[in-house]
Amino acid sequence: MTAFQEIWAPWLIGPFLWFAGIAGMGSVAYVLLKWIGVEEKRKELSWTLLISMALALVFVIADLSRPWNVASAIMSAVFGGTFGWTRSWMAVGIVLLLTGLLLTLLLALRNSGVKVLAPLTDAKWFDALLALVGIAITVYSGFLIAAAPGVPFWNTPLLPVLWIISASLCAVALVKLMIHHEAMSKAATRYGVALDAAELLAIFALINLALYGGSVAAKQSAHTLAYGELAPIFWIGLVGIGVVIPLLLGLIMLKKENKYLGIAAAVLALIGALLLRVLVLQAGIFEPII
Amino acid sequence: MTRLAHLWDQSRCIACGACIAACNAANYGSATEENKTWRWLRSNIRRVEVLRGPRPMLLLVQCQHCENAPCVTVCPTGASYKDVDGLVKIKPELCIGCKYCMVACPYEARWLDERTGLPEKCMGDECLSRVSQGLLPICVEVCPAGARAFGDLDDPSSEISRRLARSRYVRLLENKGTEPKYFVVVGP
Repeated sequence: MTAFQEIWAPWLIGPFLWFAGIAGMGSVAYVLLKWIGVEEKRKELSWTLLISMALALVFVIADLSRPWNVASAIMSAVFGGTFGWTRSWMAVGIVLLLTGLLLTLLLALRNSGVKVLAPLTDAKWFDALLALVGIAITVYSGFLIAAAPGVPFWNTPLLPVLWIISASLCAVALVKLMIHHEAMSKAATRYGVALDAAELLAIFALINLALYGGSVAAKQSAHTLAYGELAPIFWIGLVGIGVVIPLLLGLIMLKKENKYLGIAAAVLALIGALLLRVLVLQAGIFEPII
Repeated sequence: MTRLAHLWDQSRCIACGACIAACNAANYGSATEENKTWRWLRSNIRRVEVLRGPRPMLLLVQCQHCENAPCVTVCPTGASYKDVDGLVKIKPELCIGCKYCMVACPYEARWLDERTGLPEKCMGDECLSRVSQGLLPICVEVCPAGARAFGDLDDPSSEISRRLARSRYVRLLENKGTEPKYFVVVGP
């Protein structure tokens, strides 16, 4: 049996990264839709962002071994000057996730009839901040993993790139599932096809670079995914169901939009994004000491 | 400046496990629960064996008290920090249990104490207390073969400096850029 890392639970941190990606790039999609004047399902979308952000926090807190100490430790670190603002991706993430939670909460309340928030949430700067924080949350969640030197398979600049592609696909999937505006749906199909193709290439690069250029542990991780005990779920679940089928469905829909195919492609893309994160975490292996 | 460091002499070690048992007894009250991270006993020293291949080998691995410690860099709250004596230590009151230090450490030198949620490592509380009183860490004290040494690298007269000066030694995973301060002596 391969000695996978068991420190970060893949089925807790994986969903955390997934929800963070959905909330992150979903926020960008929300802003873009608003800017091009799509009014449809604005309330539902804003609640989806808020719930995703909250679930991301729930999953990451569920993996903490000292959750009762979070508030006190963070306050002590901030006021004691030891908080890792510029040093630790985890610290950066705490700030970004809390900011994201606040912004999406304001947005959800505004779209649920709390009109007093309108001057704040309807401002251009609020949109820009929301989009910026959304991108930052997605990218940070990639760097968080990539910057853990103990696990060589994760130490690649491809991870943040892959994360942003995959989270963008989640945002496209949200649009596909929620917005029925015809022009928007067609645009989502086009973006979805392009992003699926980019994701396929990025996954191929991640595995290939580790297999042929990585350290012993990175090679072993990539081998486990491509040929070893994780290969069935990698090829069938992630590559097949999560990327290739949505890509093929997208290509079909480029000729003629179909509501049901669109829903299927969106759901499969969301499953693929979750599997990607879980598998990358699961495949982590420490470098042999000798 | 003080730079406290550990030395383990592979050529002298008789693999008796006294250091491991003493660490368990001194720092964890001879607790018998399993250290689930390493599937090992509650001790800060991990035994790594290479049984196959041309050169079977035993290695005792523990916190390397790296000059450039990844666990310190990634810690969001500063719970893991490098003290003025050069040792990497943990402030429990600042630890949220994110385990980033554990995945950041290339040596897998930390294990999770499920009772407290703390990522434990060398040195434990008892050894830190001993060192602050000018005594040796327990693993060094009990080694019957004299395979261990501990002291200040910046003091040329310290036991560790004298032994390093006359020995061939390696440091583990040097390519990681961590500047470890755990010296494995491989011969005179």
